[in-house]
Amino acid sequence: MHIEENPHDVQAADLIVGIPSYNEADIISFPTQKASEGLVKYFGSKNSVIINCDNDSKDGTREAFMNTPTEVPKIYLSTPPGVTGKGNNLKNLFRKSCDLGAQAIVVVDADLKSITPRWIKNLGEPLFEDFGFVAPLYVRHKYDGTITNNIAYPMTRALYGRRVRQPIGGDFGFSGELAEIYLSHENWTPAIAAFGIDIWMSTIAMCHGKSICQSFMGRPKVHKPKDPGESLGPMFVQVVGTIFDMMIDRCPFWKEVRWSKPTAIFGFGLGEMEMPPPVDVNIERLYDKFQAGFADYGSFWKEVLSANLSKKLSEVKELSLAGFEFPANLWAEMLVDFAVAYKHCKDGKQKLMESIIPLYFGRTCSYVIESEPMTIQQAEELIEDQCGVFEYSKSYLLNRWFE
Amino acid sequence: MKKILIVDDEEVIRILYAEELEEEGYEIVTAGSGHGLIEVIEVEKPDLVVLDIKMAEHDGLDLLQDIRKDFYNIPVVLCSAYSSFKGDLKSIAADYYVVKSADLSELKQKIRMALEGHIPHQSTQE
Repeated sequence: MHIEENPHDVQAADLIVGIPSYNEADIISFPTQKASEGLVKYFGSKNSVIINCDNDSKDGTREAFMNTPTEVPKIYLSTPPGVTGKGNNLKNLFRKSCDLGAQAIVVVDADLKSITPRWIKNLGEPLFEDFGFVAPLYVRHKYDGTITNNIAYPMTRALYGRRVRQPIGGDFGFSGELAEIYLSHENWTPAIAAFGIDIWMSTIAMCHGKSICQSFMGRPKVHKPKDPGESLGPMFVQVVGTIFDMMIDRCPFWKEVRWSKPTAIFGFGLGEMEMPPPVDVNIERLYDKFQAGFADYGSFWKEVLSANLSKKLSEVKELSLAGFEFPANLWAEMLVDFAVAYKHCKDGKQKLMESIIPLYFGRTCSYVIESEPMTIQQAEELIEDQCGVFEYSKSYLLNRWFE
Repeated sequence: MKKILIVDDEEVIRILYAEELEEEGYEIVTAGSGHGLIEVIEVEKPDLVVLDIKMAEHDGLDLLQDIRKDFYNIPVVLCSAYSSFKGDLKSIAADYYVVKSADLSELKQKIRMALEGHIPHQSTQE
């Protein structure tokens, strides 16, 4: 069930730009305008439409979207009142894309401040050149995207063998064929209906053998700042929980994967990359939250982690902030132990997932300290090295998963 | 036997790599420049390319893009005396990036990993 407003009575489209939202009235006009400009400039011969897939926002998001002057027709879709979640929004988009017979769908976040018309070209054009899924490639500040850098990227790379740098980037493109596959999927969890949707879509694309490319956006992703302390918990649990769910679901695939392969690149020649704005991180708070985790979950962690990893974690606990280090190999193997525990967990998955958060703060604290004197590029190499560590830990995963 | 194409404008490097990698059991072919590289790949059909970046007449990163256009699945190991080219986003199209060293153990390891790399065509779930 959904709510639809289609004033131009659009019944078919080759190319769709979808903009998922929830209470984005103050900013949704900007990406809507840029999407229209991009569709007109680069896809003038295509039959296009812009769709806002919303969660029945009460702040006037619908009005802000529909009143934005555009050359391209617009459709407003919403979940029923009270139903929220980005995944639910995108499910409505999958359905509408199939109804309209779209060949290509581009999704951009509603709170984007740095989007240009070229983003629409770069995310959409590969879909007309036989690519099934397009992930964004943009320069991010070394402290931005820490769930991506420390979990989503290294884990998907080690599991599925595809080097997709931004598997939960929020801006992406996919083919109409893939939209049908997404829509037909039966294992639709509450996490996928929320922030787990991005990693779910990327993983399905990887496992389905669809040709994947990464597209240079040319500009860094700049969007409305969110308070990580307020929104991190649910998002973390949904993203990492979906990764673990997919590990169970896709085990026959990932157990055959060895090492990783580079992913095709689209959009070279954009000139100089613009640098992202700085991101402030409070190292002391990360360290304190890591230490506080021992009071809340210390005994629980001993049940989840192998004796060897528990011992190493105890050693890390004793380190002062000045000499703090949470090694990447310890982090990678801990995630393996949590994934195995998740696989066997019948009740209490929520607690299991929430208990990872202090450890994630510890690993993030260590990464921030290590990368503090580094340029963005040097920090990027650090992340690549961490990915290598995750790939080497695959043998540990295989042993633990099947023991 | 796996065949490796070494592309480097320094003869001493080509000879060193060829000798060391032949001892590892690989068949080696070499090219002293990027001239006609695509044709060389078409004829020799290597299983992997070791590609220098800073060559007198060619930029290895541009050659990498040319290789990727026509032979997407051939593993390419970039091998340069400079680590700074890692900062060029074009380098991520390579399977691995190795900084040249008298000790070839890292190069051999990356070659082995690139040749072993495997991704099933499609999940059995779909």
